Amino acid sequence: MRVVPSICTFCGVGCGIGLRVEGARVVGVEPQPGHPVSQGQLCSKGWSTSFAIDTAGRLTRPLIREAAGLRPASWDEALQRVAGAFREALAEGGPGAVGVISCARATNEDNYAAQKFARAVLGSNNVDHCARICHSPSVAGLTLTLGSGAMTGSIADIDSADLILLIGADASENHAMIGARILRAQARGARLVVVDPRRTRLARLAEQHIQLKLGSNIALLNGLLQIIFANGWENRAFLDARCENVEVLRQHVAGLTPELTSAQTGVPVAELERLAYTVSHAKAAFIAYGMGITQFQSGTNNVVAVSNLALVCGQVGRPGAGINPLRGQNNVQGACDMGCLPNVYPGYQPADSSEVQAKFAQAWGVPMPQAPGLTSLGMTTAALAGDFKALMIMGEEPVLTDPDQHHVEHALRALDFLVVVELTMTETAKLADVVLPAASFAEKDGTFTNCERRVQRIRRAVNPPGEAWTDWQILGALAARMGYLGMIWADAEAIFDEMAALTPLFSAMSYPALDAHHGLHWPCDAAHPQGSPRLHAQSFPRGRGRLLPVSQVDPDECPDADYPFFFTTQRLHFHYGGGSMTRKSPLLERETPAGLLFIHPQDAADLHLHDGQGVRLRSRRGSLETCAQITDDMPPGTLSMPYHFREAPCNILTNSAQDPQSKMPELKACAVAIEPLPPGVAPRSADELNKEAGYGSF
Amino acid sequence: MLELTPRALRLLDFYADGQDSRHFRLRIDAPQPGDLAVIPGQFFMLGVPGFGEAPFTYVSPPDEGGEFSALIRSSGRLTARLFELESGASLGYRGPFGKGWPLLLGARRVLVVAGGCGLAPLAGWIEEALHHAAPLQLRVLYGARSAPAQVLGRERERWRQVLPLIETLEHGGPEALRGSPLAQLDRLFAEEQPQVVLCCGPEAFMLAIAKTCVRRGVAADNVWLSVERRMHCAVGLCGHCYIADSYACVDGPTYRYDHYLQLLAHGNTGHAGGELGVGPC
Amino acid sequence: MVPSESRHFDLTCCELDSVERLRAHLAGGRTLYEVREDGQGGRHWQALTADDPTPFVAQTEPPPFAAKAFFFAEREAVFRFDGERFVAIEPTAPAQVLFGLHACDLAAVAYQDQFFAADAHYQARRAAALLVGLDCRHSCSQGFCTLVDSGPEVRAGTADLILLPTEAGWLLLIASVAGAAAVADLALPAASRDWPAQRVAHRQQVASEQGDGQWLQDGIAAINAAKVSAATWESLGLRCLVCSGCTTVCPTCSCFAPLERKLPDGSIEQERVWDSCLYEGFQKEASGHNPSALAGQRVQRFWQHKFGEGFRQTFGRYGCVGCGRCDHVCPGGIGVHAVMRKVGKPCSN
Repeated sequence: MRVVPSICTFCGVGCGIGLRVEGARVVGVEPQPGHPVSQGQLCSKGWSTSFAIDTAGRLTRPLIREAAGLRPASWDEALQRVAGAFREALAEGGPGAVGVISCARATNEDNYAAQKFARAVLGSNNVDHCARICHSPSVAGLTLTLGSGAMTGSIADIDSADLILLIGADASENHAMIGARILRAQARGARLVVVDPRRTRLARLAEQHIQLKLGSNIALLNGLLQIIFANGWENRAFLDARCENVEVLRQHVAGLTPELTSAQTGVPVAELERLAYTVSHAKAAFIAYGMGITQFQSGTNNVVAVSNLALVCGQVGRPGAGINPLRGQNNVQGACDMGCLPNVYPGYQPADSSEVQAKFAQAWGVPMPQAPGLTSLGMTTAALAGDFKALMIMGEEPVLTDPDQHHVEHALRALDFLVVVELTMTETAKLADVVLPAASFAEKDGTFTNCERRVQRIRRAVNPPGEAWTDWQILGALAARMGYLGMIWADAEAIFDEMAALTPLFSAMSYPALDAHHGLHWPCDAAHPQGSPRLHAQSFPRGRGRLLPVSQVDPDECPDADYPFFFTTQRLHFHYGGGSMTRKSPLLERETPAGLLFIHPQDAADLHLHDGQGVRLRSRRGSLETCAQITDDMPPGTLSMPYHFREAPCNILTNSAQDPQSKMPELKACAVAIEPLPPGVAPRSADELNKEAGYGSF
Repeated sequence: MLELTPRALRLLDFYADGQDSRHFRLRIDAPQPGDLAVIPGQFFMLGVPGFGEAPFTYVSPPDEGGEFSALIRSSGRLTARLFELESGASLGYRGPFGKGWPLLLGARRVLVVAGGCGLAPLAGWIEEALHHAAPLQLRVLYGARSAPAQVLGRERERWRQVLPLIETLEHGGPEALRGSPLAQLDRLFAEEQPQVVLCCGPEAFMLAIAKTCVRRGVAADNVWLSVERRMHCAVGLCGHCYIADSYACVDGPTYRYDHYLQLLAHGNTGHAGGELGVGPC
Repeated sequence: MVPSESRHFDLTCCELDSVERLRAHLAGGRTLYEVREDGQGGRHWQALTADDPTPFVAQTEPPPFAAKAFFFAEREAVFRFDGERFVAIEPTAPAQVLFGLHACDLAAVAYQDQFFAADAHYQARRAAALLVGLDCRHSCSQGFCTLVDSGPEVRAGTADLILLPTEAGWLLLIASVAGAAAVADLALPAASRDWPAQRVAHRQQVASEQGDGQWLQDGIAAINAAKVSAATWESLGLRCLVCSGCTTVCPTCSCFAPLERKLPDGSIEQERVWDSCLYEGFQKEASGHNPSALAGQRVQRFWQHKFGEGFRQTFGRYGCVGCGRCDHVCPGGIGVHAVMRKVGKPCSN
């Protein structure tokens, strides 16, 4: 028995774990008692890690598509095929026709390699990852108002907050160790207020639950500002010293009376006034939000509205205070930091800056692309139009997790060539021309960056199964096949050092420094050799904080006669993403049916629906069957589904209306119709429905 | 040491026996002396390779050749797979496990009450009782949702010839026998007061039957229930089948009512309600 | 190994000039484990070589994981199905020494020795292990061993050897036949000091640090009198995130679930893996019926299992050994202290 210190690979909290290794296998996990983030605790996903990375069912050899399907191949043959396909696509369509979708679950080193491959080898800025569908509005919105898109404080700020305001985030289920920390803060006397259309666990435990109407975030936040300004509760000193545009915002919200806000949000006036008082009078308000803010067509403006509230109340840059997006994936922060975005190089160095281009051209020894890049949605849209030919997807499952799955599936089928780098045979991998077996986080060295910008080391505990390689090794070997030798690294540390040397934000970081401090928060440079747990104490990256008037935008699709229910999506404590890891645990898989719909008791009664009964859901984009679970977590008139289950992939239903600024799809709100299946009739899985409809299974 | 590894079991054949239910004939490949000592009400673990193990009761106990039968209703992955298999399929067997029904009763007047598939664990007992040297005055009250949902058709056909078999249906059937078996107790008790009651069905149903029988004068230590629990190891280790400080796989699944009430009082489920149907199974 | 007759073994005491010399001696021919810090905030049982130079440090806080996994493995293959036959997989049982186990964890091993008495996998590994206990001189931060009769001095019959720290240096208690055999070659001199008095002093010290335990007595009484309302259990259940941490680190928890794995050769291997009674699916039947469907019922079950009188009578002690690990690991703040205080309060019922 050995125990290898590492970082949990599920959500963005970044808990410290020890991988318990027996022989050549990870058999379990233990929490690191002294870890500054998780403080010796884990959620059910973390505890179940050994199942998630069980090598039974893992891909162990490269696979190549023939007429009859995928067959095993040597690395040599597989890489030759991939290199040839990219060369062909480049010859045919130019650098705009190829791209890489990187992975928010892979290491910083893997992500650095992915964007370097796109830019230096493919000559394209077409590189993206799934931050698009969780927190791109945070980056867009907070960059507008503060000049930096990350969490302004750290998780430890919860300990010194006297108010925790949670908006559209189900922290005890999705970021459980943050939820746990919030509960501890509450136990020592901090106040907890939850803003959420659903009655979540924390909403039940909070002193105030603002159960707003789905998609009315801006109306609510503007309404709070109106009350605050009208009563003179704003933090005048902070506004004077640190912010701009105060009068414009004051004018903008002046007419939004509590009565009007109450009508728009469904929240009683007294509740609005109580919250406005609480947040403006808190000594330190830890304001955290999740995808209940970002996954709307008004996602960026929602973030701006949160930022407005925090700035007006002066809740930034002090211990305990802050604007804190709770990020979904273990390394979604890192994938952004590493420049796996079409518009930035590592450390958010702008891709359209000729200075930056020149710097990287010099460092990497090849010219850098000039043309702007495509987002993942841009790439799939271009693929459907026939303008985009060859794509690499690293460890992501867009077929299951993207909005409007038919769009993604059709787009991937429309490609000339798709290569997928994966641990297991996912729904996306099933569509690939070449599938390359990757190493899991327990099988490699590297770093993850959690949602509070803390860069932490993970360590190889066991060998990869069969012939699996780490992502950066795959990319390096592929680059070499395509004639670029600048991606042959000795180890993960060499990549990190190359990245840190090119990235001012990380310039003082190194593996020994990370080891010594339980990780370091960026920016970590000569001025901040110990990192920066809290940002914006004195000023904002853009100078003064900008107050931006934004207005309520209703969801693109609201209930009507044909589709009379609001529909939203959520996550379960027990599962992660498309479930490809968590569903391998017999314990987590046993916990819920494979797909379920949450519905309020009154709605269920109106539909004569029993708990556990099958239902059919339809939206303008598709339909599915699943089973109903009756719960007063839901408000009447709104239905919700978790998106973890391929049997009932709720993103068949969701809307692809986009936030114009971040391209974030509106996953959190659409309209659906529901009909109960006859009692005793089991819901059919998406696969079965497809077969019956003659689509064939993918 | 406890046996955790199954022995090979052959699926011989099966026939449909009630809605979603099949009556299987199975054969233990290498029967052992212990296999002949099965007491009605005990159970075995059926392994369907790739789909796990689950507990089922014997309808007829293993004979010298290792053959026995079991009634199995389809619910869940394991049974769904089992229902796809053909004669000759390789399965796994562990057993017998648990406590069966009391065998040699001093009593003469016995009432058996079953709901849904709850008839299966009682079938072996009824058969043995019929062949008992000192004949019992045995009555069987059997409730089901509807006629198609009734199980053990061939057995009931035989029993009807030799004992009073009262069959109730929630839907359909003659008016007098419509509804829950509970409604028949008045008449049955009026005809003849039973000394012993054996009952199997959904838990809430059993508790209601037992409560009524005790109220009508049957001693609580003469009422026996057979409860259903999720089971994996069947040897009292894995913990899933707990009822307070008892494990149903070892101390049950057959419990004396008074003991069972004590367990409920000390357990975590005593205050949980439940509907009084005869259940899906 | 501690066969049952050793529960009546008469303790003898030796002077121990060097704990490291003892450790090196025991590590010869066996894999010796000791709790070490990993530099990243973790502390783990780690295999040492006989020539490991690191001085032994008597740790006050128990490690995050007790000894449980050494005997009741967290994942373990039980049998394999090759398409026709089921083949039992024999447990591997390397000779091991666990060096420096606290009294509470040893009480838990003794508890599980009883529970798994007829389990071949557990017993094979258990029989091949030598347990070296360590008396505690001070209470750890969350522990209450003196309230549940598990420490601070290692209980008779639960260890083979016992390290007894004193102001004047180390003593070693020989606590079983196997323990005596293991140190026979060392020719340790008999101790002349009054070691029983030393242990009594430790017990009194730790007892005074741990207090009178009224909170625990009240909680136990309420649970066994079934005086805790369903509403109280449900309010605790709302704080249970169902992480499974408590059952994982609890040194006496023993539930497991089956897991079938398809092997590359097409055969199927059945493992048993640690399970948790806090999961909603733990008792859910194939029909959908669930006798413990409510979170509060499951929290209640966990604590009944630890403090229920029926279990105490069966095992001769409570299922809780007072290590306090559930306090550390519970994200909902409902470890043993919080729960027992809440259920023991008359107003909550």
